[in-house]
Amino acid sequence: MVELVPTLLRQELARLAENDARLDGRGRWEAREVSLETDCLYNAEGSAKVVIGGTVVYAGVKFELRTPWPDRPTQGSLMCGAELRPVAGRKYEPGPPSPESIELGRVVDRGIRESGCIDMDSLCIVPGEKVWGVMIDIHVLSDQGNIFDACGLAAIAALRTAVVPAERFDVGEDHRLEVNGTPIMASFTRVGGRYVLDASEEEELGGGERIHITLGDEGHLHSLQKGLKGVFTPAEFAEIFEVAQQRCVELRKLVAEKEGN
Amino acid sequence: MGGYGDVQLLRDDGLRLDGRKLDEMRPVTIEAGILPAADGSAMVTHGLNVAVAAVYGPMEAHPRKIQRQDRAVIDVRYNMAPFSTSDRIRPGFNRRSREISKVTAEALESVVLVERYPRSKIRVEIEILAAEAGTRCAGITAAAVALADAGIPMRDLIVGVASGKVEGTVVLDLDKAEDNYGQADLPVGILPNTGEIAFLQMDGDLSPAEFELAMEYNFKAAKEIHEIMVDALRRRYEGGEA
Repeated sequence: MVELVPTLLRQELARLAENDARLDGRGRWEAREVSLETDCLYNAEGSAKVVIGGTVVYAGVKFELRTPWPDRPTQGSLMCGAELRPVAGRKYEPGPPSPESIELGRVVDRGIRESGCIDMDSLCIVPGEKVWGVMIDIHVLSDQGNIFDACGLAAIAALRTAVVPAERFDVGEDHRLEVNGTPIMASFTRVGGRYVLDASEEEELGGGERIHITLGDEGHLHSLQKGLKGVFTPAEFAEIFEVAQQRCVELRKLVAEKEGN
Repeated sequence: MGGYGDVQLLRDDGLRLDGRKLDEMRPVTIEAGILPAADGSAMVTHGLNVAVAAVYGPMEAHPRKIQRQDRAVIDVRYNMAPFSTSDRIRPGFNRRSREISKVTAEALESVVLVERYPRSKIRVEIEILAAEAGTRCAGITAAAVALADAGIPMRDLIVGVASGKVEGTVVLDLDKAEDNYGQADLPVGILPNTGEIAFLQMDGDLSPAEFELAMEYNFKAAKEIHEIMVDALRRRYEGGEA
């Protein structure tokens, strides 16, 4: 990825920040509109499409039968991966998974895994012999900023609507995947010297480090990640943590609304 | 082709398992301009297939060795999402997607006025989100609409369609079961206005007469899909956003 150093953009972002303004006129903690669609893909056992501004992301859930690890004979497994393919934007190039896409997939994976929303024992079919492997694949189709939140939301929404295809594998009846909780990610980027919520593509280009916070239903932390070059203070973290709490409640409501359908 | 003769694909009333007539295609919907990051984009649903195409460019072609002095090169990537099929696909290119990418690129190079953009590259990304037989055709149709959406001049809007044979009978637009257990598949890329063919593959067993009928079906379907493509572009550019 070759990116020209956007000096002018940085200056403009700094100037705007002095008046607590943003390029697209949003407030500092104001997110772009989010739309969520679930059960939208034939062949995926659970699926979701998330649009945040001009960012478009799909997630699909697939199941496979596998042999459990010898030391955990009653536990199934969960894997979440993200693909940042060239379809997502001009700057993306073909090739093996980039460090960026691996980070993205792993941060989403940790948030879901560590929240404990999937009970690995519930994925057991025959102890020591057969368990379910659950795979969430995230596909970024259009990157116009903050793909992390879009991917996190798509992943948990797809998971929460997934149906275990037991009949196809001849191991019982199809049933809804048991998911106890809705971990949600909120991401912040340093733009013009201070953090903002839900950075746009231009803000990311002219901005600094980012912080991703995944919170569970009770507001507990389940995954944190600081990415890119930069440092922050505990006071700054305290400020965005408070915003993250509100943001996660809002997005969790959105997921619940979709499930009510 | 699977060619399992014992699977019934035609009903006693002469219709197909999903109730379609022999020369009836699955429902098609098209939307242009769905991916804001791309210069042009489209989503095609064809039956249960979902194909998305994004176009980037024309842009500088690099590395330089891929440049052509007299025309643009078209770089196509056809890719199936891991969750697009019944069994998950491991991410990354395989032999099938490489071949489809290659022949699709060659088809598009025959349609785009590539000589207008010497030394440049046009990137076409085809992503299959859901597969139910006929994804390469849905991908070609999506690519054509995305190229038009990107404002890239073409001789015609190329349409991807397929016919085939099930239980000895030629049918238009095979679905999953017909593809798995049928006897032939003939996917083509048709230029409806000029009557030319820019993409052609086939596998299975067709007599010359069956081939002719399958082609006739394909041309008929191409005209129908072409109208849906034009309509999608009209909706995007004729006051759709005003």
